[in-house]
Amino acid sequence: MPTHVLSTAQVLLRQFKNPIFAILIACAIIAGVYSDPRQAVIILLMIAISVILGFYNEHKAEKIVENLRQNVAIKAVVTRDGKSSQIDSRLLVPGDFVTVYVGDIAPADMRIVKSKDLQADEATFTGESFPVEKTSGSLNLEHPMPQQLTNYLFMGTVVKNGSGQGIVISTGKNTQFGSISRSLMRSHPETEFQRGVRQYGNMLITLTLALTVGIFALNALRPDRTLVDALLFSLAVAVGLVPELMPAIVTISLAQGASRMAKVKVVVKRLVSIEDFGNMDVFCTDKTGTLTEGKICLDDYRGLGEKEDERILTYSLLCNSAIVGDTIVGNPMDTAIWEYAIKDGKQESVRLYAKIDEMPFDYQRRIMSVVVKNNDETLLISKGAPESIFARCKYADISGNIKPISSVQKAIDEKFLNLSILGYRILAVASRNAEAKPSYHIEDERDLTLLGLLIFTDPPKKDAHEAINKLKEMGVEVKILTGDNELVAKTICDELKVPVKKLVSGSDLMQMSWTEIKKIVEETTIFARITPEQKLDIIKALKANGHVVGFGGDGVNDAPALYEADVGISVDTAVDVSKEAADIVLLEKDLLVLSDGIKEGRRIFGNTIKYILMGTSSNFGNMFSAAAASVFLPFLPMAAMQILFMNLLYDVANMTLPTDNVDEEYIKAPARWDIKFVRKYTLFFGPFSSLYDFLTYGIMLFIFGAATNQALFQSGWFVESFWTEVLVIFVIRTRRIPFFTSRPGKWLTLLTLSCVAIGTIIPFTYLGSFLGFTALPPEYWGLLILMVTTYLFLVDAGKVFFYKICKF
Amino acid sequence: MAGMLGLDLFQWWAACISGGSVFLTLVSIYLYANSRTRRKNSGQPKASVLKVGGDFIFVWVLLALLVFYIVSINIGSAVVFAAGNIFVEAILIIYLLKNKKRKSDEP
Repeated sequence: MPTHVLSTAQVLLRQFKNPIFAILIACAIIAGVYSDPRQAVIILLMIAISVILGFYNEHKAEKIVENLRQNVAIKAVVTRDGKSSQIDSRLLVPGDFVTVYVGDIAPADMRIVKSKDLQADEATFTGESFPVEKTSGSLNLEHPMPQQLTNYLFMGTVVKNGSGQGIVISTGKNTQFGSISRSLMRSHPETEFQRGVRQYGNMLITLTLALTVGIFALNALRPDRTLVDALLFSLAVAVGLVPELMPAIVTISLAQGASRMAKVKVVVKRLVSIEDFGNMDVFCTDKTGTLTEGKICLDDYRGLGEKEDERILTYSLLCNSAIVGDTIVGNPMDTAIWEYAIKDGKQESVRLYAKIDEMPFDYQRRIMSVVVKNNDETLLISKGAPESIFARCKYADISGNIKPISSVQKAIDEKFLNLSILGYRILAVASRNAEAKPSYHIEDERDLTLLGLLIFTDPPKKDAHEAINKLKEMGVEVKILTGDNELVAKTICDELKVPVKKLVSGSDLMQMSWTEIKKIVEETTIFARITPEQKLDIIKALKANGHVVGFGGDGVNDAPALYEADVGISVDTAVDVSKEAADIVLLEKDLLVLSDGIKEGRRIFGNTIKYILMGTSSNFGNMFSAAAASVFLPFLPMAAMQILFMNLLYDVANMTLPTDNVDEEYIKAPARWDIKFVRKYTLFFGPFSSLYDFLTYGIMLFIFGAATNQALFQSGWFVESFWTEVLVIFVIRTRRIPFFTSRPGKWLTLLTLSCVAIGTIIPFTYLGSFLGFTALPPEYWGLLILMVTTYLFLVDAGKVFFYKICKF
Repeated sequence: MAGMLGLDLFQWWAACISGGSVFLTLVSIYLYANSRTRRKNSGQPKASVLKVGGDFIFVWVLLALLVFYIVSINIGSAVVFAAGNIFVEAILIIYLLKNKKRKSDEP
């Protein structure tokens, strides 16, 4: 089955789809050709580190999921030339005669020609929890929907009961399953995070170009500077503006997040989706198998009156085709009855009876019967589809009072109907005293007394309520998208205590224009009876409304929506096509890991944003002041190599940013990538850094007399610029006031302070001399400490103002 | 180039640092006006003139710092510069503690 799984080369190429790389490569080429080739080597080295890290981690994640996929290869029993053999399902061709048994996954789309009690689980296609009966009979339908084709077995559906034989009609990509897979072959839609990075890259390109051209022009105009000097300086400023290590920082953050998520059994297939996972504000989910167990359970058994009637359970255990041993094998409903009885310790009651005869289930009668003996009493017990049982009943047992069924038929029908429309699957149980005779026949299934109903359901997962509550607390709205009817969906919401704002059905959606759909998706909690295409429309509409949308599903019908969502979440037990389409695969069906994943995503996003805000504001400030100084100073305020060295040291200091602590209040609600906010931030905090750079110029020029000492001036500014640029991370990394009330990560603190120490001693070293620095006077250090402290407090005071008026 | 416009090095420097401070003040006014428009559009009440003055405390500090820096650099005294910085830091710390943002505050 072709899917969107990427080849090794594609994963490698994907690493380069980043505008920052374009800037860096351009800088490297210009530096290599026109300037010092060492600069080009440094830039290329940074690019290489980012690409290798990104490739390694994404390739590893792809492999994990590929391995998962390999574990579920489908085999088929095929009869060719009268001989049966088991072959790989990919070798089937139309016209092959295939046999399927309980537990088989249909290997192709087949027209059934023979069946025995055949039931298939089509939940992956239709969302229907209960197995669907499949027969060989012909149908007379115009333009039938796939779910109406009861004489077809669709590839990917699971045989839950009986056996059948069919002729292969279509295989592989030509099947219903394949047509959904084909829709996933297009390139993956851009995520919110990728959009943000692209916009940020564009902003940087504009800013860098404007500043570089401006600096070059101003310096080129000076008679005391050569064109090469002007070009070198403007190039260095351009490189200083570009956060070279941003791709590496992002990749390291994502890879570390993916690794932490793997520990809670969450496989991240597409690293970039983690940040959108954190920023997700709407989570759409399928019902069956995601919110519910995806398994039939006996919910209750009810007599027709007020009193409880234990006979209903005992008789349904006796009239049961399941084989009970270490495990229980049989059709899902009979198995569910035994599981219920064993769980409640009520299975022992059957020991009082001896089975004499059995009339097995068939799809004409839709009931099964047994004859049992208890002391001298012989009983005929029937269990099956309510309509079939009702038709064979003469009486009804109302709390021990036997009444003609005709007198209570209306009430019974109403009870049955009410339960059915709530999504319960119902079986009826009836019995009568039977005369002793050697054998019994289906004609004996008459004059029965109706005892009560067995009520089956697909129960909500134990952790679903807690998981939904946690999502709500974290600012994520949950919407349910299901193929089930409105009442079934409403019932599950009631059970999970999900407040329902509005319920819209697929047929309602079909009548709506795109504008109406965009409006209705905001107001609606449940979308019932919807098709896979409508799921896709809902996701698209929510995205168009500016939401970061997650989608959780495990069926074939969920695959297109999983692919379209910003974050597609599937489970290990999902069909292959869903796992392929998903960005994140939960290895265990534990919904609580969703909130862990969201926290991780928010933490990673928080740290990425810190780097961006620091980079754009303090880099911008520094480079702006360098540009201004180059106009009035008799020499360049910093040599190109000095700027590049400072940039490299600054990037090293930021390498541990992905490990930084994120304030708990930041994790409480989804954050959004907002380029306008980044622009405002740059505009506001950038000048702070410039002001203190100018102040340093003043100190160096007019207190330490560096107007005629280029090395002293450059050393003084290098140290101040580096201190302010690096130490401001402790202020910018938190919104708390004062900044020291938020504890930074220990590795960030350690590395940052180490880099500050290196930057401080550089002017006194051989390397410092090589770079053109000189030792600084002792008074300088006292003034520097005071000046930097004032700077950090002033930025913190700026935060009070900024966050009061700019909401992120 | 400094001499080209008839300015000496100090005047150039003072013009740059003043230009930076004025730019920051203008950005603050722009952002504040922007937020007032958003508040108005969302139907929230207008802030009083007194409150506006309070919101701009950091701008007053900034402008005061600018004057102090220009004066102290002009004098060329490291002692005056250091003493002034310590004084401003004390004011900023008081301001920050007054505006302390608790952990439970919305991000």
